[in-house]
Amino acid sequence: MPQLAGRAPEDAFERYVLPELEVLARVARSVTRNSHDAEDLVQETLLSAYRAIDRFDGQHPRAWLLTILRNAEAKRHRKRRPFLLREGEEPAATVGYDFSSAARSPEQLVVGEQFDAVVAASLRSLPQHQRQVVELVDLDGLSYAEAAEVIGVPVGTVMSRLHRARSRIRRRLVAAGLAPKRAWP
Amino acid sequence: MPKPPKLLGNKEMASCMQVLRALQSYLDGQTDEVTTGRVAKHLEACRRCGLEAATYREIKAALARSAAPLNLALLERLRAFGSSLSRQGPDDEGEGTGL
Repeated sequence: MPQLAGRAPEDAFERYVLPELEVLARVARSVTRNSHDAEDLVQETLLSAYRAIDRFDGQHPRAWLLTILRNAEAKRHRKRRPFLLREGEEPAATVGYDFSSAARSPEQLVVGEQFDAVVAASLRSLPQHQRQVVELVDLDGLSYAEAAEVIGVPVGTVMSRLHRARSRIRRRLVAAGLAPKRAWP
Repeated sequence: MPKPPKLLGNKEMASCMQVLRALQSYLDGQTDEVTTGRVAKHLEACRRCGLEAATYREIKAALARSAAPLNLALLERLRAFGSSLSRQGPDDEGEGTGL
């Protein structure tokens, strides 16, 4: 493992932080829900990382950065005025389903455009806490531990929210006739 | 800290019930080596659990496809910000970003 002692800070920053930039941008988007705040949040994270890089031991850069991101977001929240729906922010979507076409549940999966559409709609209609973990793990590619770090909850909480969210999506697919019912109770 | 479920027992083949409990964690690559091996082995042999796994795999794949691409201009601005930090440090050392 390369030693950080004697390595210039800008080298460490380039080596450990810049490669994670896209992941940080995705996670910031998932966490803040609008692109202005996401950009601010990533900039704050990069600044804090720059200032702390000489104390970083080189282990698990992504987890280190996600902790910084979480702290930066917490700080932004404390400074924030009471929540207002800003321009560009979408209100929570409400989704209706046409159940009339759902016949017997199929033996196999019916994948395709409709499958994707039902999944995307289900995601949007999930409760906020469940939607957030699905975004962090299934869309942004974080591990359970990384997602737990970002949100500031135990890994077990990430797991239960995530699994429940996917079960909920699965039930919507069954109702739409696109996925088989579970064969066990 | 709670961990993803381990399979119980000394049996070589895990039961369907055990596999179902571990299935989502397994598909997320979050189970330990022993559990991963047992689930994989069970899925090869069990049609019902195999179908269950396929269902969740497709849900994960559809979710990944639903991710909107990042705004390229935003990403470019952030890259430029990061590079300039790397080269010359923060603009206003010691102060906030004034945002």
